[in-house]
Amino acid sequence: MIEVQNLSHHFELGKKGNKTTIQVLKDISFHIKNGEIVTVVGKSGSGKSTLLNLISGFIHPTNGAIWVDEEKVTDFNEAKFADFRLKKMGFIFQSFQLIPSMTAYQNVELPLILNGESESSRKQKAMKVLEKVGLSQFGEHYPSELSGGQQQRVSIARALVLEPPLILADEPTGSLDSDTESELLQFIKQLNQELGITFLIITHDEEVASIGHRKITIHDGIVIEEAVNDNEL
Amino acid sequence: MNFKDKVRFIRQNIKKTRVRTFMTVLATAMGCSFLIVLASVGYGLQESIVQDALEQQIVTQIDVYGHEDENGNYRPLTLDDIELFDSTEGVKAITRRNQIRQVPTFALDEYKAEVMAVSADFPSEAESGMELSDGRMPENKNEVIVGYHFLNYLSVATEEDILDEETGKIKDEYLYQEEIIGKELEMVVTREVDNDVATETISLTVVGILEQPTKEWVSDANVYISEEIYREVEVFTGTPGGELGVNPDDVENKHMQNFEQVKIYATNLENVQPIVDMLDEENYATYSVVNEMKQINMLFTVAKAGLILVGTIAVIIASIGIYNTMTMAVTERAPDIGIMKAIGANPKTIKQIFVMESSYIGLLGAIIGTVVAYLISYLVNLGLPIIIESVFEEELPEGLLFSYIPVSLVVISVGICLLVTILSGMRPAKKATQIDVLQAMRREM
Repeated sequence: MIEVQNLSHHFELGKKGNKTTIQVLKDISFHIKNGEIVTVVGKSGSGKSTLLNLISGFIHPTNGAIWVDEEKVTDFNEAKFADFRLKKMGFIFQSFQLIPSMTAYQNVELPLILNGESESSRKQKAMKVLEKVGLSQFGEHYPSELSGGQQQRVSIARALVLEPPLILADEPTGSLDSDTESELLQFIKQLNQELGITFLIITHDEEVASIGHRKITIHDGIVIEEAVNDNEL
Repeated sequence: MNFKDKVRFIRQNIKKTRVRTFMTVLATAMGCSFLIVLASVGYGLQESIVQDALEQQIVTQIDVYGHEDENGNYRPLTLDDIELFDSTEGVKAITRRNQIRQVPTFALDEYKAEVMAVSADFPSEAESGMELSDGRMPENKNEVIVGYHFLNYLSVATEEDILDEETGKIKDEYLYQEEIIGKELEMVVTREVDNDVATETISLTVVGILEQPTKEWVSDANVYISEEIYREVEVFTGTPGGELGVNPDDVENKHMQNFEQVKIYATNLENVQPIVDMLDEENYATYSVVNEMKQINMLFTVAKAGLILVGTIAVIIASIGIYNTMTMAVTERAPDIGIMKAIGANPKTIKQIFVMESSYIGLLGAIIGTVVAYLISYLVNLGLPIIIESVFEEELPEGLLFSYIPVSLVVISVGICLLVTILSGMRPAKKATQIDVLQAMRREM
């Protein structure tokens, strides 16, 4: 599903003439198979979020290549990557990233609108996925009227609604309490088993990391460990 | 993302900033309205002048004065020329007239009038659309029609002073007051050879009275006789056109070989220009109201373009408001745009949404501006003449339009308005597509 080859990335800070280069990722390579849950762990500033942003196409790598679903996404332009993201990737963010002026239903409906689907098809798909995350009663609620766990479920529903083969999650439980966190992890696991969706989860939480089939550990921009998780949840 | 959803999106966004959007629409409407009202003055005056010119002349009429040869010499028109005109496409009728070259006396019982006699080919005149106010067209050689003002000259033959001192016209009590249609009119023509004066009386029957001339100041007291009677006068005088003071023995042609007044009538307005072009090519001297219209229209086109340009400045000023509104909208919605881009919104879609939003404001402003402009135009046309007449004590010509808004002006103005507003929304829209996803999402946190 994902092939990362010799990926390097650096940021340039400061003004012209007085620039400082910070190397975030250094020649990283790994492979994620279809239907796998892979967690990427590492300390703050280790480069794990940068890795996710590179795979998502939010930033472009300094060097190296990334293949997603057999397409070399590092060659895509912005418009092509946007279309690819819409159809092939779902996102779960730490801070949910729901549009506050839209109801839960409208937030879930948004990818379907961007995909040009008809109103009836949208309604059917959005309701189905809201039901799947257990929020069919909360469709007309605005994000501010929902709890953190519920907001994250809406965000998962939005990620699932176009049935992408890959979901990228950045600290998905970062804003949740421990009960809600366990509930959410079970749900991710369930989605993986039922729908065969591949998950790439960035986390610094060992409990979250334990749900994956494999765990990649990054330290100072280098993969220091790639281990199969025998004790997965 | 389909069009309907984009519109829904825009309406949702506009709802959130209702007051700001309303003020921007208001500014655009004022700009658009100013543009239309300003240009409508040019259109109004043009309409009034053109209408006035058209009312005074028959638009399909072409006057032909003569033919110019290679050496620049003019010759009057003959029957050959008329045959050529007749064979031209788009010609409905050709009228030809000649005036008798002396002033005959027309007598009816004790009433007399000394007016001009004009020969006409009545079937052609009827075809050209000659209108009578009473009676019918002549059907035989002795039947005549008289001009609308003929009866103002038919008065009792007396030594008394029959003229009104104030108006200079014949007093009503001396004028013929009865019905003239069907009455016998005696035309007395004179021949003068070597101080030997002789007269001939020709009996004519009045069968019709012409319509009043369209130009108010024109007085038509002519008697329109047939071409056969015209020939009879020539036979009697022995001179072409019955001219006096010429010895018949010195004249080679005793009959007029040409026509003084030739008018061509086109079947419709569209055919006038091709006929005029053909006549110009054949070196005929012509005049038609279309020539006059061309110059008037040219002048007003320049004036209208100037007014539209000035009006456009108002729209451009209004567009600064749209630019400001759209820039604020992009800044405020940056986190939402970031989320949309993250989940897969195409930059083109985001750009379209913002351009459509500025177009929506522009269109709404243009519609309101057009309605207001029509209202102002109506009030100006209604109120300004009253104000001018009461303040300057001057009577304005009837039907004078100060402001006229044709559909073409609305189309031009709405077009300018839309173009300017779309252009002013382009930069903010581009800025929206350039929003950095990570920065925008971070800001929301």
